[in-house]
Amino acid sequence: MKQSLTGNIKIGFLAIVTLLVNACSNDHTLSNLDATVFVRHKGADMPAYIKGNANEKIFLITLHGGPGGLGLGFRGNAFNQIEDNYGVVYFDQRGSGMSQGNYSEDDVTIDLMAEDVLALVKVIKRMYGNDSRFFLLGHSWGGALGPATLLKEQSEFLGWINVDGSHNPKDLYFEYIRNFERVAEAQIELGNSVPFWESVYDELDKVDRTTVSLEDFNRLNILAFDAEDSLKKDDFINGSENGNLKVSDYNILTFIWNLLKIQSILDDDIIGELSFTEQLSEITIPSLILWGRYDMVVPEFYAQQAFDNLGASDKKLVFFERSGHSPMFTEPNRFADEVLQFINQNK
Amino acid sequence: MNRKLLLPLLCLLQFTCYTYGQNKSKKQVKNTQLPEHFWDRTEVKVGLVGTVFWNNGLSVGAEYLWKENKKTKTRRGKERTNTHQFLFNGNLGFVTNFSSKTDTGAYTNYGLTWRRTNKKGKQFHIELNPLGYYRSFLPETYEVMGDEVDKVFLPGRGYYAPSLSVGIGRQRKGKVRSGSYFNINYTMITPYNSGALPTFSFQYGFRFNFKNKKQ
Repeated sequence: MKQSLTGNIKIGFLAIVTLLVNACSNDHTLSNLDATVFVRHKGADMPAYIKGNANEKIFLITLHGGPGGLGLGFRGNAFNQIEDNYGVVYFDQRGSGMSQGNYSEDDVTIDLMAEDVLALVKVIKRMYGNDSRFFLLGHSWGGALGPATLLKEQSEFLGWINVDGSHNPKDLYFEYIRNFERVAEAQIELGNSVPFWESVYDELDKVDRTTVSLEDFNRLNILAFDAEDSLKKDDFINGSENGNLKVSDYNILTFIWNLLKIQSILDDDIIGELSFTEQLSEITIPSLILWGRYDMVVPEFYAQQAFDNLGASDKKLVFFERSGHSPMFTEPNRFADEVLQFINQNK
Repeated sequence: MNRKLLLPLLCLLQFTCYTYGQNKSKKQVKNTQLPEHFWDRTEVKVGLVGTVFWNNGLSVGAEYLWKENKKTKTRRGKERTNTHQFLFNGNLGFVTNFSSKTDTGAYTNYGLTWRRTNKKGKQFHIELNPLGYYRSFLPETYEVMGDEVDKVFLPGRGYYAPSLSVGIGRQRKGKVRSGSYFNINYTMITPYNSGALPTFSFQYGFRFNFKNKKQ
């Protein structure tokens, strides 16, 4: 009995050691990076998933949407192609994904989240050398965090890639209403999902057209995703391919809890309040703006607004005609081509 | 209050008092004389713990029998005897997410368990552990303070983590492997980010009493 107990204890001990080694090991081979590191900054521990080919020490830092989205949520066919050529850093922002820490709600500001991104840059330089070079890419909410970061320190980055980014949530509410009316009219004329688009008018009648409220904003935001589903159903835009995100990559309960919490903190500061439009002229690094023509979540109006206001002399606007809010999943090959071309030209 | 609502409520109250009195009169409670030796009253438990899809691991612990009584009651003409126990309880566990490296941690918690065992050995228990600690283990971590970047030694964070478990089990009286259990566990990890993080997990395992003779 005692012998078998000793044997079991040994097996248990070995299992725990194996688990610990597995939990802590990283692959830092530059041509095939697969590392998970945490950035500890001002009370938060935020995971950065560093993947791809960084032979040239060029890293594309990605900023997810939300707030409260998932860093690894970008992964899929498009980013696989980017990873084949460059290092890609997927980052769970403060209070998002598997980030943890201990700080007060008052500490959570867009300014601090921008500092977190700059802290991430410092960590990557510490890991892979000061000769590391960076591009910054932001999608949706990441399109607001990106300018916030660049306005603090843009010399660290060789270029800025705005993917359907919300640099101006202040006016988004009213643009939602205008965009819904425009698209609904066009779709009804084409005879596509007429009952749905007529119901959109009913929904618009329920919201206040003069004052922004969080409740009405959320109603329109949900309607925007429904509208994109309808466009996909009618084959007006491409369906989304499945990303590479595995169920096991994130603890879904933790993710949802963090998402609700960070949105409850930040929404009041963002919706109807935040705008970087006036300051975009201060961003002078080469910029690429990628937008789904039928983005209902951050309508195409903002693509032109971003392009017109950015201070970069080297800037390009690309529309994806068969895409909505996430062209990396609906037109992945073209998306990857545009990103790679931009990095190749500006590295 | 609405009179229409008041009448049924009064009837319900009267019925409750009546049936309570009926049950009370038929119920017998007898305290059990417990063995004095520490190991006779102590069971070790070992189990798997986790959320199936995410963080999974091992949990070991011990339970010390503090109080026990047998309640006999008559229901539908049949006499039923259930054993009720209060046990001091302690656990030590380790969990990890094999896929992501971002959800690894160890925990320990201490508290009290209430357990009811029927004569067939089927058990129901509630475990309250107000004293709990969770320590996350992070992979390679760098702390940024101004322009300084330092690698953190043994990175991770400690959290207060009280827990509540509700479960079922089966007793194997007199045997070394003295029982098995399945728990649904709720743990509140705090302070986590700018609030608290509720977590749920399952536990399945076996209890052992090494003073028992039968295998």
